[in-house]
Amino acid sequence: MKYLNSKILMIGILLVFLSSCSKDFLDVKPVGRLTSDNYLKTNEQVKSALIGVYATIQYNYSNGAWASVYFMKNLPGDDCLCGSSEGDQPEYQRIDDFTMTADNKKIESIWSNFYKTISQCNTIINQAATDTPEEKGMVAEAKALRGMTYFDLVTIFGGVPLMTVNPGDPSEYSKPRATEDEIYAQVFKDFTEAIPDLPLKSQYSAADKFRMSKGAAQAFLGKAYVYHKDYDKAVTQLEAVINSGEYALEPKFADVWTKKSEFGQESLFEVSYTAVESYDWGTFPWGGGNQSNIECQLEGPRSDIFDLSNSTLNVVNGWGFNNPSAKIGHAFEAAHDSVRGAATVMSAADFEATGGVIKVTTFHDYEGYMRMKYVTRASESSTAGVRELNYTTNWRLMRYADVLLLAAEAYHFSGNDTQALVELNKVRARAKLASVVAGADVFAAIVHERELELAFEASRFWDLVRWNMAADTLSDIGFVAGKNEHFPIPQNEIIANDSISQSDQNPGY
Amino acid sequence: MKTRFYKIVKVGAFTKRLLFLTGLFVLSLSITLTAQQMHQYSGVVKGADGQPLPGVNVIEKGTGNGTTTDMNGSFTLRSENAPVVLKFTMVGFSEVEMTVQPGSSVQVEMKESAVALNQVVVVGYGVQKKSLVTGSISQVSASDIKATPASRVDQAIQGMTSGVTVLPTSGSPGAGTQIRIRGVNSNGNSNPLFIVDGMKTGDINNIDPSDIKSVEILKDAASAAIYGTEGSNGVILITTKSGKAGKGVISYDFQYGIQNSRSDMKLMTASEYGQWQQEAGANIPIVQDGTNTDWLSEIFQTAPMQKHHLSFSGGTKKTSYYLSTSYFDQDGIVGGPKANYNRLTSRFNVSSKIKKWLEVGTNMSYSHSNQRYIAQDNEYRSVVNSALGMDPLTPVAYSGTLSNVQDLIDQGYTILQDANGNYYGLAKYVTGEIVNPVAFLQTFHNKIKQDKLLGTSYVSLKPVKGLTITSRIGYNLTFQSNHAWHPVYYFSAENQNSMTTIDDNLNKWSRWLWENFASYKRTIGKHHFSVLLGYSAEESESPWYYLHSGPMIAEGDQYAYHTYATSRDFDKVGGTYSRQTMNSIFSRVTYSFMDKYLVEASVRRDAASVFPENNKSAVFPSVSVGWVLSNEDFFDFTKVSYFKIRGSWGENGSKANLPGNEDKEFWVFSGIRYPDATDNFQSGARIDKLINPDLRWERTQMLDLGFDSRFFGDKLSISMDYYNKTTKDLIVQGTGPLSVGNNYPNINGGDVSNKGFEFDVGYRNYNHAFKYGIHANFSTVKNEVTHLAVNAPVPGANVRGYNLTWFKEGYPIWYFKGYKTNGIDPATGDPNIVDVDGDGAITPADQTMIGNPFPDFTYGATVNLAYKGLDFRLFLQGVSGNDIFMGWFRTDRPYSNKPEFMFTDRWTSSHTDATMPAANNTSDYIYRSDLMVKDGSYMRIKQIQVGYTMPEKWFKNDIQALRLFVSLDDYFTFTKYPGLDPEVGSYNPSSQGVDRGLYPISGKVLFGLSVKF
Repeated sequence: MKYLNSKILMIGILLVFLSSCSKDFLDVKPVGRLTSDNYLKTNEQVKSALIGVYATIQYNYSNGAWASVYFMKNLPGDDCLCGSSEGDQPEYQRIDDFTMTADNKKIESIWSNFYKTISQCNTIINQAATDTPEEKGMVAEAKALRGMTYFDLVTIFGGVPLMTVNPGDPSEYSKPRATEDEIYAQVFKDFTEAIPDLPLKSQYSAADKFRMSKGAAQAFLGKAYVYHKDYDKAVTQLEAVINSGEYALEPKFADVWTKKSEFGQESLFEVSYTAVESYDWGTFPWGGGNQSNIECQLEGPRSDIFDLSNSTLNVVNGWGFNNPSAKIGHAFEAAHDSVRGAATVMSAADFEATGGVIKVTTFHDYEGYMRMKYVTRASESSTAGVRELNYTTNWRLMRYADVLLLAAEAYHFSGNDTQALVELNKVRARAKLASVVAGADVFAAIVHERELELAFEASRFWDLVRWNMAADTLSDIGFVAGKNEHFPIPQNEIIANDSISQSDQNPGY
Repeated sequence: MKTRFYKIVKVGAFTKRLLFLTGLFVLSLSITLTAQQMHQYSGVVKGADGQPLPGVNVIEKGTGNGTTTDMNGSFTLRSENAPVVLKFTMVGFSEVEMTVQPGSSVQVEMKESAVALNQVVVVGYGVQKKSLVTGSISQVSASDIKATPASRVDQAIQGMTSGVTVLPTSGSPGAGTQIRIRGVNSNGNSNPLFIVDGMKTGDINNIDPSDIKSVEILKDAASAAIYGTEGSNGVILITTKSGKAGKGVISYDFQYGIQNSRSDMKLMTASEYGQWQQEAGANIPIVQDGTNTDWLSEIFQTAPMQKHHLSFSGGTKKTSYYLSTSYFDQDGIVGGPKANYNRLTSRFNVSSKIKKWLEVGTNMSYSHSNQRYIAQDNEYRSVVNSALGMDPLTPVAYSGTLSNVQDLIDQGYTILQDANGNYYGLAKYVTGEIVNPVAFLQTFHNKIKQDKLLGTSYVSLKPVKGLTITSRIGYNLTFQSNHAWHPVYYFSAENQNSMTTIDDNLNKWSRWLWENFASYKRTIGKHHFSVLLGYSAEESESPWYYLHSGPMIAEGDQYAYHTYATSRDFDKVGGTYSRQTMNSIFSRVTYSFMDKYLVEASVRRDAASVFPENNKSAVFPSVSVGWVLSNEDFFDFTKVSYFKIRGSWGENGSKANLPGNEDKEFWVFSGIRYPDATDNFQSGARIDKLINPDLRWERTQMLDLGFDSRFFGDKLSISMDYYNKTTKDLIVQGTGPLSVGNNYPNINGGDVSNKGFEFDVGYRNYNHAFKYGIHANFSTVKNEVTHLAVNAPVPGANVRGYNLTWFKEGYPIWYFKGYKTNGIDPATGDPNIVDVDGDGAITPADQTMIGNPFPDFTYGATVNLAYKGLDFRLFLQGVSGNDIFMGWFRTDRPYSNKPEFMFTDRWTSSHTDATMPAANNTSDYIYRSDLMVKDGSYMRIKQIQVGYTMPEKWFKNDIQALRLFVSLDDYFTFTKYPGLDPEVGSYNPSSQGVDRGLYPISGKVLFGLSVKF
């Protein structure tokens, strides 16, 4: 029976091991994440959440070259042609041609990212501590960023689901479309609540100049009032910006889009990009999350048309999207607006004068001009990394010239043409153009000025829509009145949202 | 907590000791144990045809004493007992028992049987007599597998048995498979659980098919329920070979093959392409200059493959061993050596009864593989996709330097040259990522190296009669490096690389599994019962590291290491880690009365770390019954030798690739930053995703009813099964309104049903000089999503940016959605789109189901013929009723080429009664419609093999058998599918049946030799 002892011993050992089965064994700690229980309790934590919001906005404005709010707001305008080669990125081409449908992935992408921005703002607004002035300021900042986002949404889509509190339970996921007025009311409320607590741009440190300031919030609120035709309220806000002494026009128009004027005197709000990542073709995050502005490369002059190798322009070839229309080129020529014209578009003849070669004269969406505003300047990219992938160019979402033109419009519609012309002529003076004198058609002058000053700045189409001029101006390029004033609500939102059905879709889609 | 870990470490140390002990056993193998000189028994075993039978097991009944017959069929056995009862067994033959007197020489005749009654099948934690099995278990034996040229076991079982679908993810060497047992029921991972000699593993790419003794596929839930959590997709049990007592055997197998593309797909020729583009309204005039490149024939090449397998096996009464090594080497038919896969494996299996009450053993395998790969399964950037889309007016290479090349060189771009120094042709018309595929191939310098250790060691105690206590520890360790460097090249603005870079992705996956189980068997009168009780714990972890740098000193493999990069400005690093644990208890009871009435029940409780706090554990029960009618006294049909009806019900679970902690909200930081006004990054944070505290285990319930029967002295066998499988609480990536603005957690998304019939029919007659056997299987499956717990259908695979496949109630899982057409408008040549929602307009809301990637039925058949030394084998396999979506077209690259049938069948003003629309490169109503959906049915002759086994008398000494064969594999395919290959798999489970320009499966001409000493 001696062996039985060893058997018992071995069985005993097994039993001891069996007892090691316990709950601790199943408790696996999450890797690389923090639980939310104690987050948003300090200045640093709230700041990090706020940076998260800016990162999402940045993503939405240049998402791995696949969807950019900025380009999409430009596309339906008569200044911008989709460009590139025929059929390339068909969902961009269709927005340009007014043939977009509800399953357009790019429209879905910006919609999703607008709501991600809003959700992140909601978290800060509803959960962040407000014990310190910094924290109060940051909650205000989140409100202003949310207001700015809803303003984009209502402009592009009309009434949209209004989310001010993030849902907890799945039963709270589906919200119906609110009316346009309800969304505007939220925009006004967010900005109005934010403005008292926001610092002036000059109060931010040099590094933090990118953040939403009191002036920027007032400008966006003023713009929203103009869009909503609340002209008196708009005047109040825009006047406050003008009288704040915080902003002025850059002396040289051509400098407005270069690195040296980033966050400069004319700048109220920008989406920031950088060249410091030195991306190469392998490391560039094609799926999105790029820190450089790949949209610049996307929209740079296409090598199939523009041979830049012997040109004195310090410009690099891109992929050819966002070509100027002949219409905008002719508009600058007809206005003899050479200062802004040269900085915005360049004719084939002028291009060849720089030593460049036009390789083909007929090409998809090529109407004889090269775009110069936001063009792919070598100086705006990295000297170390691959040039095509490292543009530092920031999108100027709100600049002082726009504030002045919006103010002019608000004055005009509130019966103060004198002051309207004062603001308008500030813009014209920088462009070295003669002042518009009293007695002229002030509204026509504003329309004309916005077309030239703000070409390719995501403004033209939405101006035409709110002025009710889109049908007259754009019908020849495919605009359908009663339909194309808005983009369609994304098909996947309608599919997934219990409270929105196909009958709630924008008309015509 | 700490003490717990300490104990786990102790387990490791214990295993090490165990391994050391088994190591000692290896050394002891050379010591022959001296047999006691007692009584001697000898004889000759012959078949019904009078031919001697080598390799028959001769065992003294009631003892472990035994031997095998030699090549003359004779045996000699010594025993201390007299007389003895000898048991003669051999796979494929009916067992013979005989009482033998000492000193006598017996003549034994063994009859072949289609299915030997005493054959056993491997089940979870044990073996069972096949005749008494109550579940639905398919067995594929070594003899079925050895004839195939496959590098992987999963490829080798394709078409062999009913209810199992094996779809290669690609035809490129080393590519994996998608295995579906009784349909698709899981959202994330639908692959079955692999158990190799008791150890769980996710992939069986490191096991040479020649090392396999048998593969058992547990198809019904009751059989798989003992594996609980991970059994819901079925379980594949792989048992590797072991040595047999008796003379040592050396065996060597060799195969050499030449592979070719067997596709007859045709693309438009240059003139057809020009005509098409003109009709499609091309803005650019297409100029014919005499160039007419057939890009498909340019990328396909003949490619060699070879395989060597060498094994040594043998043993004594107490100890048996099996040692093997194999080498497999295959080039690709696209890319040749750029898609090469080679693998070295070695295996060491040993078991020893060191005490009467104690057995120890280990099965260990190591493999080292190198897989080179090119881009594939991608509609944007892949070689095959480029070959399908490249315009035929572009030459492969230029002679001389053309101005377009010179222009680019002047601008500083690198244009690739062929071996003769000629510049490769640059796309003449097509734009974007679609480039010269022959040149594109030159840019790939990728290699996945894998080192894999998979093994188990066990100790098994038999303290009292009938009771066995086993403790088994398994370890599965894979190190993988995915190493790549990228040369400088320029094809187009969208497909270029201006700086050399190096990438390394380093992965380790490891898992230990420790199982302790006791089984007790007892027979009381006519009642047999057995009880199994066990406990197991497991832990898996997987770190990942990423390294990137550049530029390189110069282009070349020897410079592709990060230290030698000439700059540190481009360095990037990354890394993650994940860990999962699970523990389980399980039990099974079987009972049978007079081998007539059979009952089995099992239960398993699993608790896993990946589930939320309040749903950590789940219990999975099963029950099955069988009735062997043929054992009843009243059963009086002499033609029917065996008849069993059986039924089972059981439940399994699935973890479905869960990351864990779905019930907690987290802030994440990775990659969230923003460049501030001074160009420095500020770091940010956001909430990871919404939470789901209610996440439950996914459960699959299956009812199985079937019968097994044999007729005419076991010559004919027929089995049939009906199954009804319901997967409840399927775990899916949640979806919901985009306006929620957050990512959705994993959720229990709905229920999926799979139902079908399975038939296996075999007939064989080996009782004459001309032996023949035929086996056929046939399976049906109907898949449907029966319930969706979320508000919205779940989108699946994406093609060119839109969701093609969907998960929606009332539809097959991952069905194709798009525009439905109703003929071609004779007036315009445009497709007539069906206004599905009836709103009078064609909008995206009219997209509907246009295809189902799953076949209505699948089948396989094998015919084996043998006469004297000659043998012949025909093996075919097919599917019917599935759809394939031709997803390689690039509507954003209108100048890309198209298949020829789109040209010949198109509408023109003079051919208005057309099946395909007028020439058009961009319309969604064509390229997202059912016009892109084709019948994917095919029948493939997987193998035609002729072999000759040389008569023994030709050999003087030790050679036992030598067989030579020639074979055509995957050579003939019958299909209406107009693409490259109807076997359209994908790495992505939700992308099955979507052809993005797949790497086709090669046809092979093989020569082989096997020899046994």
